[in-house]
Order: sequence, then structure tokens, then C-alpha cells
Amino acid sequence: MPVQRVSKGFLDVSASFKVNPINSDVIVTRNENAIARAIRNLVFTLPGEKPFQPLVGSNVSNLLFENLDRITASSIQSEIEDTLNNFEPRISLTTVEVVPNFDSNEFNCTITYDIIGIDVLPQQLSFALQPTR
Amino acid sequence: MPLVNFSNLDFYGIRESIKDYLRANSNFTDYDFEGSNLSTIVDALAYNTYITSYNANMVTNEVFIDSATLRENVVSLARNIGYVPRSRKASTSNISFTVDVSNTTAVTVTLKAGAVVTSRSTGVNKTQNFIFSIPNDITVPVDSFGRANFNEIKVYEGTYITQTFTVDTENPNQKFILPNSGIDTDLLSVIVKNTKESTVERKFDLFDSLFKVTASTRSYFIQEIGQERYELLFGDGVFGVKLENKNYIEASYITTSGAVANNITNFTFIGNMVGNNGNAISQGVSIVTAEMKSKGGKPIESVESVKKYAPQIYASQNRAVTAADYEGLIPQIYPEAESVSAFGGEDLTPPQFGKVFISIKPYNGVYLSSAIKRNLQFQIKNYSVAGIRPEIIDLKYLYVEANCDVYYNTNLAPSPSYVNNIVTQNIASYSDSSALNQFGARFKYSQFQQIIDQSNESITSNITNIDMRRDMVAKLNQFAEYELCYGNRFYVKNHGHSAVFSGNLVGYNIRSSGFTVSGISGTVYLGDKPNMDLEKGKLFLFKLNSPSEPIIVKQNIGTINYITGEIRLNPINIISTTINRDSPLVEISAQPYSNDVIGLQDLYLQLDVNNTTVNVIVDNIASGNDISGTNYIVSSSYGSNRLVRGIPITTVDAGVISETSSIASSVRQSTPLGRAIVSTTNSARSSY
Repeated sequence: MPVQRVSKGFLDVSASFKVNPINSDVIVTRNENAIARAIRNLVFTLPGEKPFQPLVGSNVSNLLFENLDRITASSIQSEIEDTLNNFEPRISLTTVEVVPNFDSNEFNCTITYDIIGIDVLPQQLSFALQPTR
Repeated sequence: MPLVNFSNLDFYGIRESIKDYLRANSNFTDYDFEGSNLSTIVDALAYNTYITSYNANMVTNEVFIDSATLRENVVSLARNIGYVPRSRKASTSNISFTVDVSNTTAVTVTLKAGAVVTSRSTGVNKTQNFIFSIPNDITVPVDSFGRANFNEIKVYEGTYITQTFTVDTENPNQKFILPNSGIDTDLLSVIVKNTKESTVERKFDLFDSLFKVTASTRSYFIQEIGQERYELLFGDGVFGVKLENKNYIEASYITTSGAVANNITNFTFIGNMVGNNGNAISQGVSIVTAEMKSKGGKPIESVESVKKYAPQIYASQNRAVTAADYEGLIPQIYPEAESVSAFGGEDLTPPQFGKVFISIKPYNGVYLSSAIKRNLQFQIKNYSVAGIRPEIIDLKYLYVEANCDVYYNTNLAPSPSYVNNIVTQNIASYSDSSALNQFGARFKYSQFQQIIDQSNESITSNITNIDMRRDMVAKLNQFAEYELCYGNRFYVKNHGHSAVFSGNLVGYNIRSSGFTVSGISGTVYLGDKPNMDLEKGKLFLFKLNSPSEPIIVKQNIGTINYITGEIRLNPINIISTTINRDSPLVEISAQPYSNDVIGLQDLYLQLDVNNTTVNVIVDNIASGNDISGTNYIVSSSYGSNRLVRGIPITTVDAGVISETSSIASSVRQSTPLGRAIVSTTNSARSSY
């Protein structure tokens, strides 16, 4: 009898490690939430942080300490694009927009992508990038 | 699915195991994606497991002396079986100088312990300065000319240091650790005073075992600890004198640089001197002259050596019973020994029962002096079994000579000399390696060819012919028998016919360098003629009419055994030799039956780089010059056809015997030499 495979979607453990009060298990994140979290992880992981995988991650954290201008924003954008294209096969990247916000000394980043494999609407993930030590 | 594959030692394997487990036992799916939280957890688990596995592997390795790699652990394990690794050894030199003290009232001059001279290294850069010191004061009288002559004082490379300790019996964990590394323990001197202020000094001696140590023996022991440092251990009142509270220990020693300070001859004086009146003397010092280059400096015993000798010493239990016991003990007694070979007399032909023969190759030089041999023989007696007489015999070198025809692709190398240089360098490195320079070594033909082939990418192949050679030290102007053992079978290419056969020069099975003998004018060489069985043969002397035209001048001057590789010369009076290296030599070489040459028993195998030739030949096929191979240069795989070693010396005079002369006339010609033997009552006999 052939093995019957059922797609379970994307299921990841939550980084908060809190207990789900209903089933007393660890809280999980699913599908688009899991992917959004993974994207943030990839963007904020520096190359070399993951053991024995020196290429995984992006250099965004270092770029945040460069001059706050459009050139740096462009570098961050291409860095994010490269990282997601290389290490996040679950998404099809549509746009990455990085805009410097001179007033609050940060970059506003908006990533738009489609999720491959599950039937959901195009996703948009926005976050601010601030240089913090 | 259970987690079954737990033997992975690499990170990726461990991570895959965890992923496999999650794949089969969990609802989570995101472990495959690098950005997921689960992937981070899997990475952390795999990394932790990897580090644990690595640590467990290292710990297990370091527990056993065979697999331990860290010096500290190897030394610690060796300590458990009573083995103290040899320390670094200071390079020494004998220097002389004179001090003019005519303008003072001193009648004696004392050179204080400590630094005496300094010198620069003889290395390529000559950037390193070395200090040579003495461990004790030296006092000499002032002569009638007002000069104090310091003649041939032995100086040791390194800095003289005195370390003091005060015994504190209330501290049960007190240790007496000499804080400097690079100590030469042979120069360690330990003096104990009752208190720091006491003037009475008691000298303690270094012991390496409990034999002859009593409760009153002033003894101390040393053990190596981390970073190549040493700890002093004193007696407990049962074995050795026990130290008391407030005792004051003065440990004086020299920290040395070891072998890098060898071969130094130029020194500059930097010592401290005082006259008997207590005044310092700083002027009037002559130029320092050295009798010889500094020598004897050696690094600390290597981890490999400790691993080899510690179990051997333990197995011998300070008793020399088997041949291996001698090989283990002698480097302890005589640290200058680079390689040692020992074998029982019963293995010899004819057997010499009740004797053990020992050959020692010292680090510096070729042979041991008679004084060292006597001293060693005396010391070995302390360990040997009663009734067994150890005898130290001179080293016998068996040289391997290679003639290499190296083919190369001209497209991949700039010039033939470039290829030649690389191959020659690699052969020189191989000749210096421990694969050869030891007793019981084997010249591995296939490895040697591989070294040549892999020297450069342009080399396509090589044809290498091997000769083995021994040097016969001639006893000039006296009749002497000679015997040379090669320990390897000879290859018989000439089955007894003449050296020139069917118009082609074939040569003989052995080749020698030239020498002259009494009764025959001119330079003669050794040749051989096998018997019908091709196992033994006879030797004759021949001259050269031309480099390819031998003329036999004396038949039956000795025998040759091709199977055992032995050459024996009947009593013969050699007057001179064409080769003289410290002593008159006759080089005799033969092609071995097997290209793998072994150093049998006391034969010390060496690859003679000076007599190894490298001919670089263009590989016309690989280079694309001549794809059909029509003009391919062929090299013989069966050795040279030359008749003699070195440059042929042609000397022909009247009355010589043609090689094709009848046997009857040959025998008749051999008679005078035979008569000479009979008339000699005390002819020397040399065995090599």
C-alpha cells in the first residue's frame, strides 16, 4: 500500500516558548505566521551565527550602522532580497522596500511576497530597522 | 522511529539524525527551513551533541599513551610507568681566553658561574643571539707574566638561573616547580641549607629510580609537568632524606635553546670575573677562541619518542635481557644516541654465544669514540644479565645509490634544470627522513619512485636503478683480510663471461673504486666471476686499458657470495686508494637482487645523495613532439654497464694478463700474492 502523504502546512515552534493553556503544549506558529517569523530571523541573523553554516543570514545588522541614506537603504534592500531568495524557498518575493526615516534614525522595511504551497493571499511584512547594540 | 544513528561525529550528520527523528515523530515541519525557530533549536542541539562527541573522543584518546596527542598527557601517562622524558640539551663548546691582570695584585682569577660568552646564530638570518654559560665558578692561577689562562673551559648555551624555595611543612600541597621551560636537566644542581641564613650546604643528587636510595640518601627526583617545565620531588625519610621546615633549597640550572645553537664558533666575552682580593676584573680579556663548533644541542624528547620508549623501558624493568631491552635502555643512558641496534651473538655467522652486539649511531658524527664506548659498556653492565657480555661495535653503513632517469613534459616545466632541482631536493628530504636513517630501515623502491613522480606535475615517469655500496677502510701497507657484508642478495647480470660480450660492454656484477697493491704497478679494480651455480664466485683484480677494456692482472684474490651478499678478500697489501675521506677507502658497489634494500642487523642504511644522479629526459610522447614515439629516448632498467666506480684510471704495462687468458696462466700469476700471505705471520683481519 503506497504511503499516503497529507500536507500539514508549515508548523514551527514559537520563540516565546510559552505554554498553550488549552493543551499545555508549547505554543506553535503556523503557515504565514511561521514564515513571517522565519523571514525576520533570516534578516537579523548575521552570516556565521549559525554553526557550520557560514553563508546563512544577512548583513543587514551591520549595514544599520552605516550612514542613514538612500545608498545604505539600497544596500539593505539588496541584502534582504539575496537572503530571502537564497534561504527561504517557501516564498516568492515580490518587492522589498527600504525607506530611510531620518527623523527617527531608522529604516522602514516592507517586504511583499507570495507563499508557495498554501493557498493564502499575498503577504506584506513591515518592520523598522534600528541600529541597536 | 527511534533515534538510532547516534554514532555520527560530524555536525551535519548529527543534524540530519535529529531532523529524521522530527520528521518521523513530530507534527512540526519547519525544521528544513533555515530561518525557522525549529531550525535554530535543531542547530543548537546538533552543535551541543557535536561538541560533546568531540570532547568524549578527545578524552578517550588522551587516556591511552598510544592515542594521546597532547604532550602533557603523554608525559603524564609515561610518568605512571616511571619514565621521565629526556630534557632539552644545551649545545656546548670548549673555549679559551686569557686575562691580563698584570696591573692588579690578584694571584688567582675566578670566572663566576653564569653567562660567559655570547654569539650570533649561524643560520641564514643570523638574527638570534645566544648566551653560553657555565654552571660553576672556575678559578685559575695568574702566571708569572700576569696572565690568567682559561683553557678549554666547557660552556653551555643558555641562561644560568638559580631558583630558591623555602620548605613549608605546614603546607601539605607545597610543590617545588622550576618555572622556566627549556631546562637541561643534566646541568641541574640542587643544594639544600638548613635555613636561608645557614652557611652549611648539602648537595642533593638526581636519581631516576629507588635503587640504592636509602633513608639517608640526599636524593631528589624530577618529573615533567605542563609547558615543558619540571618539578622537584624530595625524599620522605624512607627513600631519601626528608626536608624539614624552613629548609632552604637552591636549584641552579641552565635554560637552553637546544639544537638551534649548534655550529657556532665566534664568541664575544661577557662574563664576570673577580680576583682573589675580591675586586672585579673587567679589562684585559683576550679574543675568545673556540676549539670546535658548538654541538650537542638537542630539543626536548618528542611525543613520538616518549610513546615509543616509555613502554619499552617499562617492559625492560631496568633489566637488559632481550635485544629490544638494550635498544630501549641505551638512549636513556646515552642521550646522544640517534639510533640503536642490538642483536645476540647467536645470530651471527659463525655464532658468538654469550655476547650481545650493540651498534649506536650518535647524533653528531658517525662513530663513537673509544672512551664513550668503554664508558657505555661499563654502564650497560649494571643492567645486563650475568654471563652476557655486551659489546659495542662500530657502525656499518650500507649506502643506497640511485640513478634516476626522469621523463618530463616540456609543456609543464620551464626547464630541465627546474625539474632536476625539485627532484634532487625531494630525494635529499627523503634521505634525511626517519624512513631510512635508522637500524632495521628499508629502502622502499616503489615509495622512492613515487616521490620522484610526484615531485612535479611535469614528470611523467622515471626509470630508477639502485646500487648498494659499502666502503672498505683499507689498512695501508700491510697484509689484511677484508670482509664486507651487505645483508642483501646481489643481482647476477654477468654469468661469468667477459666484461665485453659479443662486442657489447656488459660490466661485472660488482664495481669498485681504484686502489694500488704491492707487486702490481698502477691502479687496479675489483671484478668478479660467478661459478656455474651463480651463487658464489671468485674475485680478481683488473686494470683498465681503456674505460671499456679491462685487463685482468690477478685471479682468485677472494670470494663473493651472491646469495648472502658477502665479499671476502684474501690477505692483500693495499698501498693506496684513490678515495680518501678521513681514511683510505675502497668503495665497492653491487646491484641488489631486490630493489627494496634492507639494513640488516647492525647495518645502518643511508641514501647517498652525493652519489645519486638525476638525469632529466624529455618525454617526447607526452610533450607532443613525437606522438608516434619514433624518437623516444629509452633508458635501461637494468643498471649501468660501467666497469669501475668514479673516473676510470687507465694504466697498462707489459706482462698483464688479458681477460681472455687461460685459467692456468691466471693461477700462475696469482702465486706471488699467495706467497706473500704465507710469509706474513700476523696479517690483520678486517671485517666490515
